[in-house]
Amino acid sequence: MRPGFRVTIGTEPGGVARVAAACAEFAEVHALPEGVRRSLQVALDELLKNTIAYGFAGRQAGSGEVTVEVERRADRVSVTLTDDGKPFDPFVTIAPDTTLSVEVRRIGGLGIHLVRQMMDEVGYERRGDRNVVVLTKYLREEGA
Amino acid sequence: MNISTRTQGDVTIVAFAGNLDSNTSPQAQQALDGILADGCRKLVVDFSALDYISSAGLRVLLGAAKRLGGADSALRLCGLNETVREVFQISGFSTILTVVPTEADALEGL
Repeated sequence: MRPGFRVTIGTEPGGVARVAAACAEFAEVHALPEGVRRSLQVALDELLKNTIAYGFAGRQAGSGEVTVEVERRADRVSVTLTDDGKPFDPFVTIAPDTTLSVEVRRIGGLGIHLVRQMMDEVGYERRGDRNVVVLTKYLREEGA
Repeated sequence: MNISTRTQGDVTIVAFAGNLDSNTSPQAQQALDGILADGCRKLVVDFSALDYISSAGLRVLLGAAKRLGGADSALRLCGLNETVREVFQISGFSTILTVVPTEADALEGL
């Protein structure tokens, strides 16, 4: 078995926090650099929040499942998020205007923009009745 | 997430420790709402014990910044680690909010 972890959550409160805790533990066990671990935490928070808020919108309370699989390979960490929500490619959203002032600034789209910028590769695929999002973060020497 | 608040003169200093994400942002929102409702016009947000922030946390900060928008008010953030700084840069928050290295820098001239 490859080193990593797998967690499935529903829409219950605390689900995303459970993934965050599992990710922190995984990072510690595998001695991931702090920057890599934090970037992963941010990406997971953004994507899970999105799926729960939009992907499962309009469904019966308590239905909907997201499985998070994180795997450590020699040169990278791979993350796969699989959910049974409505078809949704998070990466087709338009990047927000990050140059606007405080007064007119809105937050929409910012989370996905962060994921795109903080991960090295992002991908989406509709597989059967599931959304599959794959993220890659390469492990580089700190400061390299 | 731990949130501690203290005042120094007319400045309120609020320190966030842990993660400011979708799980903890309601708690942060509540804390800032309370501080602003108390009439705070000068706020220093100390992030030196903050591990990471996601867009849910940025939303809370943006709300506080908008409410503090008057001419006689100020919001300063300090103690950002590398990842938090990166999130601020990517989101453009480092140009719309005042970010300084330390609490002493934040308090200077407030």
